[in-house]
Amino acid sequence: MAGKSLVITSGKGGVGKTTTVANLGTALAMMDHKVCLIDADIGLRNLDVVMGLENRIVYDIVDVVEENCRLEQALIRDKRHKNLFLLPAAQTRDKTAVKPSQMKKLVKDLKKEMDYVIIDSPAGIEQGFKNAIAGADFALIVTTPEVSAVRDADRIIGLLEAEGLKNPEVIINRINPEMVKRGDMMDIEDIIEILAVKLKGIVPEDSVIIVSSNRGEPVVLKEDPKAGQAFKNIAKRITGQEVTFLTLEDDGFFTKLKKIFSLS
Amino acid sequence: MRSSISFKVTKKGIVLSINPNTRFNDLKKALQDHVESATNFYAGSDMYINISKCSFKIDQLNQIVNIVRGYKDVKSIVFTSKPIKDEVIKIKDNGETVLINRTLRSGQKVKKAGNVVIIGDINPGAEVIAGGDVIVFGKIRGVVHAGAGGSDHAFVAALKLEPTQLRLSNKIARPPEGSFKSKNIKPEKAFIQDGKIMVEDFEI
Ligand SMILES: Nc1ncnc2c1ncn2[C@@H]1O[C@H](COP(=O)(O)OP(=O)(O)O)[C@@H](O)[C@H]1O
Ligand SMILES: [Mg+2]
Repeated sequence: MAGKSLVITSGKGGVGKTTTVANLGTALAMMDHKVCLIDADIGLRNLDVVMGLENRIVYDIVDVVEENCRLEQALIRDKRHKNLFLLPAAQTRDKTAVKPSQMKKLVKDLKKEMDYVIIDSPAGIEQGFKNAIAGADFALIVTTPEVSAVRDADRIIGLLEAEGLKNPEVIINRINPEMVKRGDMMDIEDIIEILAVKLKGIVPEDSVIIVSSNRGEPVVLKEDPKAGQAFKNIAKRITGQEVTFLTLEDDGFFTKLKKIFSLS
Repeated sequence: MRSSISFKVTKKGIVLSINPNTRFNDLKKALQDHVESATNFYAGSDMYINISKCSFKIDQLNQIVNIVRGYKDVKSIVFTSKPIKDEVIKIKDNGETVLINRTLRSGQKVKKAGNVVIIGDINPGAEVIAGGDVIVFGKIRGVVHAGAGGSDHAFVAALKLEPTQLRLSNKIARPPEGSFKSKNIKPEKAFIQDGKIMVEDFEI
């Protein structure tokens, strides 16, 4: 049976797409699924760094579409999970090096072999974004609880709908429970109310993420961090399991989440 | 008795005419029955609803809109009071109302010569420009311009009026800085009075 492809996208840069792709991919592989990650951020590749695989790159996505190599040759096997692969972006080319039709074919070919194909989208709404969504069956939007990021997420949802990618879902990253409590942050309820899409998960702000990105070890590899738990829960939801939302802190926060979840 | 609604298929789409002598409840019933029996028969076509000589209250229009939304996969629904000829249908005159059946998201823009009715929200970063009135069965948080051709009689009504900016005819208003954003629905209507944009509560 063919696998599923999903694109992780956002509009605004730096909100955590690459972090999300690395962690969801690793978490799904830990659940024994066969997974391929595609870095579609051509010219600004960094999924390989976050995965700790930079020094294994020989061929990249542009080599595949230009037929300098076969698809299998370009796939890098993860050093920790043998059922996890990365198709890296080209660093010395730009977004125009790949066309949406080529992306579509590439993802289709990969889906024959994989359970999940996860595509890391560049920021923006131009060619790179169009490439990233071309082969996707569904989309996850990453936003932070900031007005500008939510605005861009809304724009992206509109564009996805126009491209026929219906019912995208949203991940809210870098929630800071302290700030939410103080009322200094957009709350989740407001974000979901504006975007009017289903909430797929909430990931707390955690400096462990920065450390683990630098080391090339996705945070889901560790037992403890709440952020890792959050990504694991999202991975489970992707496979169709029902998982209740994490309690980031005590009291008020959680009841609020329950309220939202019952809406969707 | 003449039937309360009648249908005609033209090159441009389906024309549904409402008999102006129909009692509102009969009309509703007739529409409901028709929507049910139509299932997805009209999928992909444009539907023009001719309300010529009819007069409806806002809440009645809302009820009609809610019923005709039941036509599955109709491409667009246009209210019109112009006689519709088989050959040419123009959506340009001021008497016409375009129905938009979704939320407008950031970056999306709607520009129409006539009235615009939206079932959904106008999100921040979205824009609606209408020659006539703008009625939103949802929240306005983006930019709305009614009476864009210079009509001082145009109005904007919404279940929640929190626009980034509101323009009526050649007047511009924006909510006061740091104004309180309520969570509740509070229908309001903005219009021009004595050369100023006024907002008042609005019964729907
Ligand atoms: N939940 C989080 N807590 C703390 N830092 C984070 C979190 N998510 C992402 N970051 C950091 O934010 C930066 C941008 O993340 P990245 O995944 O590269 O974003 P994008 O791919 O959307 O540009 C990185 O330095 C990353 O480590
Ligand atoms: Mg990135």
